[in-house]
Amino acid sequence: MRPLWQIPRDCLFWLLVSVIISIGLHLGHLPPWVALSGIIAAGWQIQLYRERWRQPGRLLKWSLAGACASGLFLHYGRFTGLEPMVALLLTGYVLKLLEIHHRRDALVLIYLSYLIIILQSLFSTTMVSSLLVLAALLPVTAALVAMHCGAENSRPATALRTALTITVQAIPLMLVMFIVMPRIGSLWAVPQQNSATTGVSDSMSPGDMTQLGRSGKIAFRVEFDGPIPEQSQLYWRGLVFSGFDGRRWDQQGPWGYNDGQFLQWSNQPQETWDQVITRRGAPLSYRVTLEATNSPWLFALSTPLSQSSTVALSRDFRLVNREPVISKLQYPVKSWLDNQLEPASLPGWRKRLELAIPAGFNPKTVEIAQQWREQTPEPLVLMNRLLALYNQQFIYTLRPPALGKHTVDEFLWGTKKGFCEFYASSFVFFMRAAGVPARVVVGYQGGERHPTENYLLVHQYDAHAWAEVWIEGRGWLRVDPTAAVAPERIEMSFADLFGEQDDFLSASPLSLERMRHIRWLNSLRLKLDSLDYAWSKWVLGYENMQSDFLLGLLGEINPQRIALLLLLAGAIALFPVFIMLYLGREKNTRDELDRLFLQYCSRLEKIGLPRQPGEGARDFAQRISLLAPGLAAALDRLTQLYESARYAEQSGAEILLFKKALKVFKPSRKDLLIRV
Amino acid sequence: MIKRWRQALNKRYQRWITRRLPAVKKIRLDNRKLFIFPTRGGFVFFALLVLLWLIATNFENNLIFAFTFLLSSLFIIAVFHTFLNLSGLQIEGGRATPGFAGQTAEFEYLLSQSGKRQRYSIEISYPEVEPTVVSLMGSEIKAIYLSIPVKRRGWFKAQRITVKSVYPLGLLKVWTYLQFDTEALVYPQAIDANLPPQAASGRGDKPPPQNYRANNSGSEDFVGLEKYRLGESLRHIAWKQFAREQGLQTKHYADAVDDELWLDWEALPGMDTEARLSRLCAWVLDLSETTRPYGLRLPGLELAPGTGRAHRDSVLRALALFEQPAAAGGQA
Repeated sequence: MRPLWQIPRDCLFWLLVSVIISIGLHLGHLPPWVALSGIIAAGWQIQLYRERWRQPGRLLKWSLAGACASGLFLHYGRFTGLEPMVALLLTGYVLKLLEIHHRRDALVLIYLSYLIIILQSLFSTTMVSSLLVLAALLPVTAALVAMHCGAENSRPATALRTALTITVQAIPLMLVMFIVMPRIGSLWAVPQQNSATTGVSDSMSPGDMTQLGRSGKIAFRVEFDGPIPEQSQLYWRGLVFSGFDGRRWDQQGPWGYNDGQFLQWSNQPQETWDQVITRRGAPLSYRVTLEATNSPWLFALSTPLSQSSTVALSRDFRLVNREPVISKLQYPVKSWLDNQLEPASLPGWRKRLELAIPAGFNPKTVEIAQQWREQTPEPLVLMNRLLALYNQQFIYTLRPPALGKHTVDEFLWGTKKGFCEFYASSFVFFMRAAGVPARVVVGYQGGERHPTENYLLVHQYDAHAWAEVWIEGRGWLRVDPTAAVAPERIEMSFADLFGEQDDFLSASPLSLERMRHIRWLNSLRLKLDSLDYAWSKWVLGYENMQSDFLLGLLGEINPQRIALLLLLAGAIALFPVFIMLYLGREKNTRDELDRLFLQYCSRLEKIGLPRQPGEGARDFAQRISLLAPGLAAALDRLTQLYESARYAEQSGAEILLFKKALKVFKPSRKDLLIRV
Repeated sequence: MIKRWRQALNKRYQRWITRRLPAVKKIRLDNRKLFIFPTRGGFVFFALLVLLWLIATNFENNLIFAFTFLLSSLFIIAVFHTFLNLSGLQIEGGRATPGFAGQTAEFEYLLSQSGKRQRYSIEISYPEVEPTVVSLMGSEIKAIYLSIPVKRRGWFKAQRITVKSVYPLGLLKVWTYLQFDTEALVYPQAIDANLPPQAASGRGDKPPPQNYRANNSGSEDFVGLEKYRLGESLRHIAWKQFAREQGLQTKHYADAVDDELWLDWEALPGMDTEARLSRLCAWVLDLSETTRPYGLRLPGLELAPGTGRAHRDSVLRALALFEQPAAAGGQA
C-alpha cells in the first residue's frame, strides 16, 4: 500500500534525526530495547519512503504495541510514576513512526518530539543537559519548517537554517518570559516515586531508591543572632523514623507514645515528658524561613524550643507546625546544643519501640550483630567497630545499585555502595539487632554561608539522614554513619554538592575529582563548580529570587504591573527581530526589469555593440540598428516591450513579455556582417 | 430562519470584503489586506504549551518553564515570519484564456515582489479547483494558472481567489481573498450535432447536408486552370495536368465561393437560443480543423466566410456574446 500522503524528504530526515535524539536523551532511564525498537522503526520508515518495504500489517502493529506495553510493565512493574510514563510515551512515539499516512501523523510526531525532548529536563537539570535539550529542539523545528516549506527537493540544511534563525530570534523573548512570568506552586501532588527530588519525605526506603535526585532549590534560610556554628554541628532535625517494616522506615506517630500528648504547644502547660530533656548552657537563637513543603514538619537544631504559637515540640524532640506549610513560613527557635535526651533510662515500652526489627528480614545482619554483641558488649565500642567497617570497605555514591528483599543484608555484605539513607538504615538496623536502641533521623545537614550576609542557605541537596542511638546515662546520641564513609560530606557544605557529584563520577577515570593534584585542572574544576552553582542558583532555583527581583523592579507585585512589564520587556526583546525582518525587506536590489535590461545590453556588448553611458533604450536601439540591420526588427520589438514595461505601469505581464522576447534574442557577430 | 440569517450574514460579509478588498488589476499585499489566525496545528501546539506549563508548574521545574517559554516565543516569532511571507507580495491578474461553457477557462496570475525575500509555499486556491502551491525566490516573476470552471457563455469574471500561507511553522495561517477584474470569454458549450457536417469531413464535392445552406447554388462550371498557389486546397489540383508534367495547377470554377459554408442561425428552427448556439459552436470547431471557409449568420450579425484561427476566434466570440451585454458586464 502506498502511503496516502508522502512526507517531504527533508521533513522525514529531520523527523528521524529528532526521534534518534529523543531516544538518545532518555537512554539513561530507558530499557535498552526501547532504543533498539526506535532504531528499527526509523530504518523501517526509511525503507517505506524508498518503497522498498511495505507498511507493517495491522496485526503486526497491534502485537508490537502489546509486546512493548507488556515489556515496559515487566521492566518497571507499574505504569504510574514518571519513568514508566515517559517510557510508555516514548514507545508509542516510536511505534507511531511506522504509520505516517497523513500530514497530521507527521505533525503529531513532531509535537511529541518537542514534548519528549523537553521532558528530559525532569531527569537531569545540569547545564550541559539543558544545552543538549536546547540543541535537540532545533531538528524538531527544522522538521516543522521542512513540512511547511513546500519547495520541492529542498535540502535539509535550508530548513535547519530557518529553524536556527527563528530559534535565535525567540531567545530574547524567552528570557523575558522566564524572568517575568510568575510561578505558582504545584497545582496537585505529582507522583515522584523513584527519585526523592525534594530531599525530605515522610518515609524512607533506601532499597527502592537508585538515585538521589538533587535539586538546587532552597529548603530554608536561617538567620542567627550570633555567629554561625561549625558546619559539623548543623544537623537540622526534621523527622524521626522509629518504625521499620523491612523495606520502609517511617514515623511512629502519636500512637507510639503513651506518656501524654504527642505535641506540646508553647502556650499550653508543659507535658510530663518535657522532664526527660536536660537543657544546658545558653541557647542558640535564630530564625528559620522555610520554603513551602506541603507538610507540617519544621527543621531545627537539637534540642529546640519555639515561642511561636503555631509551632509545637513533639515527643521525639522536633518542631511541628499546626498546618502543612504551603507558603513561606518564618519561625523563631532557641536551641540548646548542649543537651541530654532521655538520659536516665528508657521504659520498657520505649525500648521495645526503639529495638523493633521485623521478623524474616536481613537474617545475616541479625546473626552477625548478635555475634558482635557477644564479642563487644559495650554499645559504644560496638558502634565504633561498625563505623570502622564502613570507613574501610564502603563507598559513598549517589547512584547505588537497587536492593532486593533483604536491603540491609545486601547493602552491608554485598554492594557496599550507597548514600546517606543506606548508611542510616543499615546502621540503625544493625544496632537494633545488637540490642542497642536506635532510630533514623532525617533532615538537612550543613548549609551554605552567605558570603556577605550573616545567614545560612540550606538547599534541597543538603537533605541528609543519620542515626541516633540511646546509651544508658547519656541519652540519645547523634551518630552519622555517612561521616564515617565520606567525612567531607559533613565537613564542607557547598563543596558537598560537588563532592557528591565527583563521587558520582568516581567510576570514570577521567573525573576531575581524581585529578585534584593537578593545579590547573583543579582550578578548572572549581570554576565549573561555581558555574554550576550559579546555574542552580539563577536558573534552577530562580523562583527564589524572582519575587525579590520583581519587587525591586516594580515596587509592588500585582497582575497589572507584571502584565505591563511583560509587554514592555517583550516589546524590547522583539524590537531587534522586527527591525531585522522589516529592514531586510526594504533592502531592494535592482528590480527584475533592470536586471533583464542589463542582460539585453550585455548580449549586445558581447558582439561589439556597447551602450553609451546615458544612452536611452530607444536611442541605443536606433543607433545599433544601423550597424546591424539584421537585428533591427528584434531590437525594435524589444525596445517597445521594454518601454511599455518601464513607463506604462511596471506590470508583471509586460515584464514577462519582455523576458520571453529576450529569451529568444541571441545576437551574434554574424548579424554585423552587413554594414552600411 | 437560520438560513435567512446566514444569507444576511453572507451578504454583509460580501459587502464588507468588497469594500475592504475591491477588484483590482494588481495588488501589493500589506497588513491591511492580510488576515492572520492560528491553524488547527497552531491550536494543538498551544495545547502542548499548556501541557508543558502544567508539567513545569507541578514539578516546579524551571528548565521546563524555560523551554515552554522558548516554544511560546517560537509561536510569537512565527507570527512575524508567517505574515512577512505574504506581505509585500504583488499579485496581478494576468490574461484569461477563453473556455467553453461547462469546461474551464484558464486564468493567469502573476506573482512578483520588489524585494529579494524568499517566499515559500504560497497556496493559491479557488473554490472547487485544485490549489496551486508556489514559492517565489528573489526578484523573479512567477505565473500560475488556475483552470476555473465556467458554466455560462459570455464574459466570466472569476470570483475571489484565496492566497494563503502557513510557512514557516504551520502554526499560523495568513491569507487574503483577492478579486481581480480580469474576465474570460466563455464560448457556448459545443454540443455535437446528430449529423456531423459532412462537408467538414473532407469530401467537398458531395452536396452538403441540409443544415448547411451552402451558397453554391448549383453552378459548378469549370472555367480553367491557374497556377497553384500555396494554401489552396489539394482537392482542386488538376492531377491530370500534373501527371503530364505541366506543373501544379488548380481547377477553377465559375462560382469561386461554391465551397463556402454559411452557418446560419435560421437553419436551426425549433430550437432554443442556447441549443442553437451550442450546435453552431460545434460546427465551428469541426470546420476550423479543415481549410474550408465558413461564415456565420446570426440575427443582426453576419461574419464573412474565412478560415484560420483568428477567424475561428472571432466567430466563437460572436457566438459567446450573442444577445449578451456588449461591454464586459458582471458575472455571466
